[in-house]
Amino acid sequence: MINRSKLKERVDFSALSFDYVIDKLILFTVIISLLMFILYPIIMVISTSFYSKGVFTLDNYKDLLKNENIKLIKNSLFVSTLSSILGTFFALIISLFTFLQRERLKKIILKSLMITMISPPFVSALALILLFGRRGLITYNLLGLSVNPYGWKGIVLLQTLGQVSLASMMLISTLDSIDNRQILASRDLGASPMSTLINVILPASFPGIMSVLFLQFTINLADFGTPIIIGGRFKVLATEAYMKIFSSGDLGKAAAMSVLLIPPAIIAFYFYRKNMTKLNNLSSGTKAVGGDNYDFNLPFGIRCILSFITGLFFLLMILKYGNIFLSAISINSSGSLKFTLKHFKEVRFGYLPSIYRSIVFAISSGIISSIIGILLSYYTHRRELPFMKYIEFISSLPYIIPGIFFGLGYIVAFNNEPLLLTGTTLIVILNNTFRHISVANKAANAYFTTMNSKIEDAARDLGASRTRILMTIIFPLLKPTFLTSFINTFTACMTTVGAIIFLVSPRNVVSSIVMFKDISNGQYGLGAVMASILIVITVSVNLIAIKLLSKERA
Amino acid sequence: MKRLVALLLIIIMAFTFTGCTKKEQSEQPSINPEVGQDADTTEVVEKPFEGTTLEVLVAYGGAENSFDAFTEKTGIKIEWLSMSTGAALAKLQAEDGKTTADIWFGGGVDSYLNARDLGYLEAYKSPEAEAINPQYNDKDGNFSGLALVPAGFIVNDDILKEKGLEAPKTWEDLADPKYKGEVMMADPAISGTNYAIVSGLIQAWGEEKAWDYFNRLDDNIEFYAKGGGEPLEKVGAGEFAIGVVAITGGTFNIGETNPTSVVYPEDLIPWTPAPIAIFKNTKNLDAAKVFIDWYLSQEGQTILREADARIMARDDVEAPELMSGLDKSKLIDFDLELMGKDRDSILERWKDLVGDK
Repeated sequence: MINRSKLKERVDFSALSFDYVIDKLILFTVIISLLMFILYPIIMVISTSFYSKGVFTLDNYKDLLKNENIKLIKNSLFVSTLSSILGTFFALIISLFTFLQRERLKKIILKSLMITMISPPFVSALALILLFGRRGLITYNLLGLSVNPYGWKGIVLLQTLGQVSLASMMLISTLDSIDNRQILASRDLGASPMSTLINVILPASFPGIMSVLFLQFTINLADFGTPIIIGGRFKVLATEAYMKIFSSGDLGKAAAMSVLLIPPAIIAFYFYRKNMTKLNNLSSGTKAVGGDNYDFNLPFGIRCILSFITGLFFLLMILKYGNIFLSAISINSSGSLKFTLKHFKEVRFGYLPSIYRSIVFAISSGIISSIIGILLSYYTHRRELPFMKYIEFISSLPYIIPGIFFGLGYIVAFNNEPLLLTGTTLIVILNNTFRHISVANKAANAYFTTMNSKIEDAARDLGASRTRILMTIIFPLLKPTFLTSFINTFTACMTTVGAIIFLVSPRNVVSSIVMFKDISNGQYGLGAVMASILIVITVSVNLIAIKLLSKERA
Repeated sequence: MKRLVALLLIIIMAFTFTGCTKKEQSEQPSINPEVGQDADTTEVVEKPFEGTTLEVLVAYGGAENSFDAFTEKTGIKIEWLSMSTGAALAKLQAEDGKTTADIWFGGGVDSYLNARDLGYLEAYKSPEAEAINPQYNDKDGNFSGLALVPAGFIVNDDILKEKGLEAPKTWEDLADPKYKGEVMMADPAISGTNYAIVSGLIQAWGEEKAWDYFNRLDDNIEFYAKGGGEPLEKVGAGEFAIGVVAITGGTFNIGETNPTSVVYPEDLIPWTPAPIAIFKNTKNLDAAKVFIDWYLSQEGQTILREADARIMARDDVEAPELMSGLDKSKLIDFDLELMGKDRDSILERWKDLVGDK
């Protein structure tokens, strides 16, 4: 490792050069945009809980810690912990299974996992209720059972299933980043595959497993959609805070309740970050070339369990998506299925502008958020500016707080001159952009922490300016990172509901909101059509991006 | 350091500036109408608002089917968004009443009362409102009644048959222990209709009887739904046998594809008006008035009834065939103001009663 601090002294930048100004301008644009579109709205929404009719008050916090809310916190922690542990466990099994497969099958599994991540909220939960509910296609029609899915078990089941795809993808990349010379050494020294798994692979991926666990915990903690649909009388904090907005119209009280969510989320997030750093340190070594074809046969029983659980997961996913597509083209009339194009006919031209808007919004958000995310990562991890790690933390806040509050924050913050944005198209794009910035940021972090800066140093020695290095070296090298983060943000934007539900107005309604409306009006068929359209568009965009990505690598 | 601060300021200003210009661009369409209005008055007088666009927040299932007829008649274009009234009220509060929407269409009257008290609604007494029972309207014209939404039950015939149960006929039947675990009702704190039911029964029966009833009904309920539409959906899907619902065209429609039937309670029927109002912040007040006038006129009411079968607010518009089973004499005598005034205290008592269901 070359000493970086010395490197910095290599080229002397005259303080007022054009390059310096541009560099600082970019840096401050990044910082200001994050402060303005993430921190400011969040502070504004929290501040509503301190003011009642313009007067400062702590009323909303006075009885915040009463028994009722303590119980909600306990419930939230209970289901989030359980779902995250189960989710991580199943993800670990799926990723181990994938890790042991040949390259071809590995790619297929990765692509399938990516597709299963495109999961419009509400529709997925409903699809599973239709499959496993009291009159579920499988539980009732096939097995003759009448199960009651409402309660914490239902929440845990749905949250677990919902998180497995993302968690598996993260764990697969963790396993891939293990220095396989360690595995080879262990096998060469006579350890069995099983003991290599227990003594080498699992310990090496432990920080990765922990970070997946904590990330899931934060996501589950802020999830209100699943408990609303399947929670029954089991209530969690995120849902109650959400319902509070509607029932009492009391933004302040609801904001105060959601403040309760923040401490556990920040603690979990701290552990997530800590483990990520550990992971980066562990995997910084280069990999052995051609070491892939070692023999690694786990005992038969273990292999069976791994493939059975992976198979079961994909079977459930096929059922879920099958059910969504099926609902779009059929009517389930008193137990008998009738095929129809009625739903498609009802999805009239009025729906087209919303689909068009969804695509435009998702593309713009995907591009802007990837650029800012990469720049943020560049200044934080490459340039290592001291205060940037706080800015980076700010960028991850929208992930921690429930989406709906991030949306409300935008309304509270931007309904006045000179920042009057409510009702505009821009506010939806901005919200989508900044909500997902940490996705791009994390993807770019992986690049900056693993790739060393030799090329950039060389360019600098040859007299290239910082701006030039950024434009001609870093961005071209980061194209794959850019594409990955673009896909993630695009996918998230296409299906997001919670954060933008209050931001849309009649002139800028998007298709995920239309879908949400149809479902909440009980028109599941119409909702399924919209969900199918969203899934098809998102999958196509993903496949195009993957194509571009593999071309890039070849 | 000073240089940094200066740069910071420049960037803030640059951002503020772009923020403003973007806003003006997007505001343009709503400024345009005035131009269109001037150009048109010289030619066609019947459509003075040709080219104006009204933005409507809708909580009235099926209402969108009537918008084309309105546009054809007046030349005013409609952009609409479906949003529950509770959500709309939260949005209004967050943006301090500065909504870009012009009209609020249908939904829970308690939210309208709330919005009125917060000063978000524009008072307008339509000349057409005279043909409407004053019981449905706000006395100062902050909102007017479009239609009447009675409350009743939706039952899943298959499940009832399977359990060997009869459909409940009265509110009293609903509290019968034999229906334990099979009744679904939405939380009155969230659903305007269900609050209207609770408030209506209290007004009809008096405090003591009503609360005793709710106590017994609560034993039959597994958990309270988190939206007024959920009981309909869940009963349709066979997750529960009986749902307490607002009866509109949509309640009957679900029976076309599911084994469900609609039951009007035989003892008494709570109801709520589906209101319509203009937002105070509207930039198209005159066009909005045209909108209200048309929807309260006989023509507009008839077309709206075709869009979604409901009993319309005007007496000279006949009840739709679907609703012919409704005995209007069973509708309870109901004071909207009282319903709004008591909301907090009723909901508090309700919460104590049901605990965390």
